Amino acid sequence: MHRDAGPTPNDPPPGNPFATRYVRPGAIPFFFAAGESAADLVARLAANGWRGEIVGPHGSGKSTLLATLLPEIERAGRAVATYRLREGERRLDEQSQRVDRLALGTAVVVDGYEQLPWWRKWLLRWACAQRSLGLLVTTHAAAGLPALYETSVDMPTVDRVVGHLLEGEPEGAAIVTREDVARAMEAHPTNLREALFALYDLYERRRQGGL
Amino acid sequence: MKEPLVSIALQAYTRIFAPGDELVADFQIDAVEPGEVEAVEASVLWYTEGKGDEDLGVHFFKRFDGNRDDGHRDDGQADDVPLHELRSIRTTLPHCPLSYDGRIVKIRWCVRVRAFLNRGRFVVADQWFQLGSVASPSQSVAESRKRGSERNDAGHAAANGAGGERGGKARVPGTRPDGNARPDGNARPDDGERASTLAAY
Repeated sequence: MHRDAGPTPNDPPPGNPFATRYVRPGAIPFFFAAGESAADLVARLAANGWRGEIVGPHGSGKSTLLATLLPEIERAGRAVATYRLREGERRLDEQSQRVDRLALGTAVVVDGYEQLPWWRKWLLRWACAQRSLGLLVTTHAAAGLPALYETSVDMPTVDRVVGHLLEGEPEGAAIVTREDVARAMEAHPTNLREALFALYDLYERRRQGGL
Repeated sequence: MKEPLVSIALQAYTRIFAPGDELVADFQIDAVEPGEVEAVEASVLWYTEGKGDEDLGVHFFKRFDGNRDDGHRDDGQADDVPLHELRSIRTTLPHCPLSYDGRIVKIRWCVRVRAFLNRGRFVVADQWFQLGSVASPSQSVAESRKRGSERNDAGHAAANGAGGERGGKARVPGTRPDGNARPDGNARPDDGERASTLAAY
């Protein structure tokens, strides 16, 4: 009788290269277009008085770009205070650090700035100006800060992202083809995150035998 | 420049443990200069893997550092060994959550060792192990298909008589169109498409 040829007890269980732990901001680098780099953007941010905004639709890489920039900002000598706003959150979580108690010169980073109501945005900008704090935000639409970067999704970038995720994964490269990726992008043309999640599902279906 | 190397070994013949088992893991840090390691943290933890929010739970944690090293060796002697040398941790594994290889979420267990080096650097290594033996969805489906296939075979044999060779061949889930069983016993609805598609990545 044929037994399922599963992993031996000493092999780690097979993973899914499109799982959150591999695609989340910080786990995957931001892929800049030719001629751009994180250091260039941080230099531009510094020239703008450490104020700037990263604009782009859902899932276009704003948080990933932010995660790529933060170490560069720290290398440039600025302390960073990061606040992440999830869907529906209307205020900064200041339990750990209140903006008005941050050290002078700290760069305040808000991921999901569009979640804040207008008056909280105004208060935040006023507090940052009062204390000479930098302010770098991600937002879906221009919010009145100096434009630092506009994120968007195109197929060459998607190819680089998927190529990076499947690097050293010959099994994964056999399971998900470029045509699959193109189909996922057709379904989610501006949202790479959703396209990668669609590929996660496809990968699971094929790996586990098309349930 | 040498890259520090963290090695972890489980004191067991298998990576599959049952709840309540004792897990003993040895670890050491190689390719470092004396005094380069400032602290070592060893933990036994689980984490989820999937496409949504992630979760993590630490079952066991121990920190060894140069100033207040509360570690111990297996022989019970006082610990005055350098941080990079062989050490052990020992813990009794809990009853949940059990390892699980689901489609939407997976639960992984591992021993994780993080070594903090001078100049703010650190290295980390995981050693995977499995807690419990929960069947994955693919295994469950394969089992149920196998049972169904056995029932079908019995039914066909009864309908066709003892010889069972008359009539057309039924396509059994988990077989290729030529009738040969897939190695994993599972059907894939898009076999034809996959065979003809060039893997570009």
